[in-house]
Amino acid sequence: MGKFVVRRLLQMVLVVIGATMVLFACLFVIPGDPVGSLGGDRARDPATAQQLRERYGLDDPLPTQYVNYVGRTLRGDLGEDYRQRRSVNEILAPKLVNTAKLAAAAIVIDIAIGLFAGLIAAVFRYSFWDVLVTITTTLAIGFPTFVIGILLQKVFALNLGAFPLFGMEAGFPRAYVLPAFTLAIIDAALVARLMRGTMLEVLRADYIRTAFAKGLSKRVVVLKHALRNSIIPVVTYLGISFGTLMGGAIITETIFNWDGIGLALINAIQQQNNPIVIAVVTYSVAIFVVLNLVVDILYAVLDPRIRLE
Amino acid sequence: MATPDPNDPFPAPTAAGVPGTAVPGAPVVSATPSGPPAGGSVEPRTTSQLTDIRRRFFRNRLAVVGLGLITLLVVVAAFAPWLAPHDPLRQDLTNTLAGPSGEHLLGTDVLGRDQLSRIIYGSRVAIVVGLASILIAVVIGVALGAVAGYFGRFWDSLIMRVADVFFAFPLLIGAIIIIVVVGRGVLPVVIALAVFSWATVARLLRSSILSVRESEYVEAARSLGASRWRIVTRHVLPNSLAPVLVYATFNVGTAVVATSALSFLGVGVSPEVPEWGNMIAAGRGFVGVADYLWIFPSVAIVLTVLGFVFAGDGLRDALDPKLR
Amino acid sequence: MRLTRRSASFVAVAASVALAATACGGDSGSSGNDGDGGDGGTFRLGITEPVAIDPYNAQESEGILVTKQLFAGLTDATAEGEVVNVLAEEISQNDDCTEWTFTLKEGTEFSNGEPVNAAAFLRGWNRAAVQSAASDVAYHLGGIEGFSEVNEGSATELSGATAPDENTLVVTLAEPDCEFDAKTTHPVYSPVPEVAGAADNAEYNDMPIGNGPFKMAEPWQHDSSITLVRNETYGAGDPANLERVEITILNPDNAADLEYQGFQAGQFDWARLPTPQLSAAKQRFEPQGQWIEQNTNGMNYLLPIHDSAPFNSVAARQAVSWAIDRDAIISGVFQGFQTKASTLVPPAFEDFYQEGACESCAQGPDAAKAQQLAQEAGLPPGTQIKLAYNTGAGHEEWIQAVSAQLQDVLGWQVELVGQPFPELLAAQQAVGATGLFRFAWGADYPTPDNFLYPLLATPAINKNAEGVVQGDNRARYSNPQFDELVLQARAATDEAERTRLNQEAEKIALNDMAMIPLWNRTQFRLFNSNDFENVQMDFNENPNLATLSAR
Repeated sequence: MGKFVVRRLLQMVLVVIGATMVLFACLFVIPGDPVGSLGGDRARDPATAQQLRERYGLDDPLPTQYVNYVGRTLRGDLGEDYRQRRSVNEILAPKLVNTAKLAAAAIVIDIAIGLFAGLIAAVFRYSFWDVLVTITTTLAIGFPTFVIGILLQKVFALNLGAFPLFGMEAGFPRAYVLPAFTLAIIDAALVARLMRGTMLEVLRADYIRTAFAKGLSKRVVVLKHALRNSIIPVVTYLGISFGTLMGGAIITETIFNWDGIGLALINAIQQQNNPIVIAVVTYSVAIFVVLNLVVDILYAVLDPRIRLE
Repeated sequence: MATPDPNDPFPAPTAAGVPGTAVPGAPVVSATPSGPPAGGSVEPRTTSQLTDIRRRFFRNRLAVVGLGLITLLVVVAAFAPWLAPHDPLRQDLTNTLAGPSGEHLLGTDVLGRDQLSRIIYGSRVAIVVGLASILIAVVIGVALGAVAGYFGRFWDSLIMRVADVFFAFPLLIGAIIIIVVVGRGVLPVVIALAVFSWATVARLLRSSILSVRESEYVEAARSLGASRWRIVTRHVLPNSLAPVLVYATFNVGTAVVATSALSFLGVGVSPEVPEWGNMIAAGRGFVGVADYLWIFPSVAIVLTVLGFVFAGDGLRDALDPKLR
Repeated sequence: MRLTRRSASFVAVAASVALAATACGGDSGSSGNDGDGGDGGTFRLGITEPVAIDPYNAQESEGILVTKQLFAGLTDATAEGEVVNVLAEEISQNDDCTEWTFTLKEGTEFSNGEPVNAAAFLRGWNRAAVQSAASDVAYHLGGIEGFSEVNEGSATELSGATAPDENTLVVTLAEPDCEFDAKTTHPVYSPVPEVAGAADNAEYNDMPIGNGPFKMAEPWQHDSSITLVRNETYGAGDPANLERVEITILNPDNAADLEYQGFQAGQFDWARLPTPQLSAAKQRFEPQGQWIEQNTNGMNYLLPIHDSAPFNSVAARQAVSWAIDRDAIISGVFQGFQTKASTLVPPAFEDFYQEGACESCAQGPDAAKAQQLAQEAGLPPGTQIKLAYNTGAGHEEWIQAVSAQLQDVLGWQVELVGQPFPELLAAQQAVGATGLFRFAWGADYPTPDNFLYPLLATPAINKNAEGVVQGDNRARYSNPQFDELVLQARAATDEAERTRLNQEAEKIALNDMAMIPLWNRTQFRLFNSNDFENVQMDFNENPNLATLSAR
């Protein structure tokens, strides 16, 4: 186990290094001078632009810039952005929290709706509820996030006036409802289908039959025995679907004007505010890799038959 | 298999609406494959098996619906010039933002272009980007996955670590970065999607090869003195491709969504190109004012994605009846 | 430098029609009067996050909004483009406009009690000009003698700016400039107290102490809010009527929607509007006297590149201008909410404005004429041209309309190139740039010269050793006759004479079709007339916070 974790940690480091190198190479070849322009339609004064290029080391060769970046990042310093010249950590910290809150709300919805619907569908197989869950989840996965977002805005904000159209000002829970559902719906549908499938398998397993044979009630068997085992793949799925969640967050934050790192990334790309781009991508790659490790370890813990070597 | 295998590539349909690292259940940085790949049966396929697969596929109503939707999409794309009532690029500034009418069944956009014609032509972009990006991803992924899976050791480590790097980028973020580098357009979108999809194919193929390689008939072929090349091309590959095929079907849908998402974010194909995501992006400002601008292209995307999801579902079940 | 928030044009961002998104604000009917202080009231509005609110680097409309409330300078610009004195009691210049003397109003203070004297002005200017500040706006001080030494790091004080006594400032310019007083309207000319320290004083950057009608109530809450309260020791003019100004910072992606939504919910007293909502909003709010519509100090153009084919001939550029149907685009794409441009200098300069000076703009489109001119220019149907624009700022639609018109009328193959602004800018500046570019310009100070000289004078091309354009004349327009007129105007002490010379220059540039005018920058705002009066849009398109009052 320990050996496995160490090896995986090493691999993780390699992956993050590789990903940031790919990113750096990409940003380096983008045409246009990242400090050559100002926020509106203006060029920056050439003398000032030159001063900033020196300040940010933009005239250095790519490998030098990369080494400096790694050095800084290892010290926990993600540098200074090109627009306001503020610390990237300081700019992104509140946005990271906002994205995390949105993602957490979405995951809660995924689990609550997904598990419940999947459970109901499996336990009452072929019932009206099963058909309903199957049809809804099948249709839901056909809806792209941005269509869901606009649709929810149209119906629940514009027509019904039940929730704010966008923004975070209304606070929890009102401001969270529409964006969190937008982000969650597809995953909730997938979780429900996954849950239904695994639950059906588990219910057929020998030990469940044994439990029934012992005269335990259906509720006890399902909730105490079957649920625990069916939840493993769901946990795995949620861990691994982080990339999807991140992509969804970019779109959701854009639609709902949510002040998170996804929106920050899109704005920074338009402005070539590279320190922000690099920081957000580094965050998401790192989180993804760590989550995967956690999922693998968790999996081994939950299912002793898996050998980690 | 009492509990599902974590490496089961298809715990659920994966043409998730959100473009992302599709095939969520695919092993991630997994050091060892555990358990056989659920999608690939380990016996060589025969003609009668193909017949079985076809029969199982067509018995599945949703799969047939999916196939129907895909066929519709292909027909619309192929016959767009005959089906479209107007030139999709023709502007009429005297007739902008006109609601649905007899002349313009789905209304006109802010430049007075016929919405129906643009949706019809939009199917071409969807089909081209969807198929081309997946095709490229599959070719690269299969080639590298086969090398990694069959030759193992050094090649395996190298290819899989490179795959890990590409796998670690959320699809949408990776694609945006590629497009910012190479510029907007259909080809850049194809490249961007392919670059961040091949890793999944490579992983899938590798893990399924690893299990096929250990199977008895490959052992047999080896003991009979078959060359490595022959073993790989004649025995290992054909039997490892099933999960890849299912993945590819699902992911045409994912690619269609990703294309539209990129356009929606303003980094996809150029805005003059009739493309569904472009249309939704342009209509987004008119939510509550002129809803037909975004509703109709949304319907087109949803139907397309569902088509590929249903077909992928059907294909998976047909290939592996155990999962039913 | 004043930067405009996005363009004047089509901002297709998500819509909002209704909805109270907000928990705060209280009941919307009387919100103007329920500020903490009782009298005066609280004015609330939304802006996007500025780059800076410290005068050393305040640049775009939003930053200038805040900085102008915190600092009073020598002069200010009115909405009509007039220069008025603020702290300067008297301004005089020598005959060739190279030496300017400002006599300051005596006895005014910063809100911390430090005196506002000549030294405070010099402190502010030197602080912005020094190399280590890397200020984006310091170049507005560039006319002062000794600027380049300070900016290059060989000096720390502007040799051309001196204080012979406590309340007198003498400025020596490197070149004659009879409109130097107008430049001092820019916030970078603000005085700062000693506590300001250097430009990189982060504490001061976020909570500047100034001498304006308002002061910061608390440090700038980045990406969240800025709160101002009345400065009771304001001495440069009448004290503000308002007690408090609450500024909410909005994400740039749909700021206009949020402002409009917030206005309707009673959360804001001033708001921009998303373009798709303009016509409905006008119908609803104009009768209530809540609608402001104004041509501001900005212009939208197509920028042809003069030093390479295909737009290196007057005929080629004329052909484009005659081919574009501005009226159709304005009514079709902008729903009528723009006005056609027929000059290079916007109509906001009422005394200067030469409506119709661009014949093709005013009288076009004329397909036959356009085709004939294209023929003359050797650009027959099938010619390939590039039309480049920046994405994500709402230009996608009208650019496509222009492209379609050029294709239909002239038969050209138009390649649309959409790229983020930094890339577009680099493409405009690059060696070998060609074709047409979307272009917009907003004035920094209220002078026609601020359009003519930087955009069209030969020295403003300023190519570096590799041939990359570094000035703002990215069209690379160069006409000695034009240059001479503009320089003569700069040296003309008589305002009427200066106007005449600049008007002459504008006509020459339009005859050469140096840039192709499209539409004026027209701005629309809503304001809460139930609770406030005397509300106007100022030179920077912001509300006149210092002079408006609660009802």
